[in-house]
Amino acid sequence: MRPHSSLKQEFLKKWIMGLQRCSFSKKNMSILERRKTIKFSADIAMASARNGTTCWSRALISNASKDGSNNHHLVKQMLGPESNRPTVAANIAPTRRALVCKKIVKQSRRIRRRRRKCVATSSIAKHLVRKRTQILKSLIPGGELMKIRLIEETLDYIASLIVQVDVMRSLARASEP
Amino acid sequence: MSSRRSRQSSAGVSRISDDQIIELVSKLRQLLPEIRDRRSDKVSASKVLQETCNYIRSLHREVDDLSERLSQLLATIDADSAEAAIIRSLIM
Repeated sequence: MRPHSSLKQEFLKKWIMGLQRCSFSKKNMSILERRKTIKFSADIAMASARNGTTCWSRALISNASKDGSNNHHLVKQMLGPESNRPTVAANIAPTRRALVCKKIVKQSRRIRRRRRKCVATSSIAKHLVRKRTQILKSLIPGGELMKIRLIEETLDYIASLIVQVDVMRSLARASEP
Repeated sequence: MSSRRSRQSSAGVSRISDDQIIELVSKLRQLLPEIRDRRSDKVSASKVLQETCNYIRSLHREVDDLSERLSQLLATIDADSAEAAIIRSLIM
């Protein structure tokens, strides 16, 4: 799955714009400050390129806007006032369909429990899946809130990260003396 | 695709269904070199999750390294500087 070039361009545009808006060209910025600004604006640009269509991107922007006054200010500079941004609350609460599915799964679980024969290996596997899913959730922005959409969001997040890395790498390569 | 998802929801953490695993594996196979050579029916959910987490962590690390590198390479993004010309050509 090659990253789409349109997503690359979208990310690059937003990132460069963000860097400019963050007064990146301040001559007396320390290297540490510059690195933080680069990473921060790259993350915001990556999330903003999704235009609020994914949970992780909304969560990333929302988390950045909360974290202390400095980041909040930067996010505002990069993306404009909050009224223009899609809210995090959208699509996080389980839909009606999701609740119906949960009910069906609970009932089938009850039935399946009676038929189970070998418990040991399947419970170890289940434990591993549970543990690793928790880890995965901790790696994705807003992951703790996701249930049904976790897989979908993971794939989109990975694809966006790949785009981010590709673009940053190209820029680094191009800027090398 | 949405109807399939509605039948198999992941109500709790351990409820990721087989279909979703197969879907994830086939998509990840294109992204992750480690899984590429394995047959789909032998890949366990926990292994896929582990590879996914490792991959995300390595991508995070790469972004951090690249940010470090770029902070040293890009002094400014002045409108007239050489970097700006490069960036402009990248966007075109």
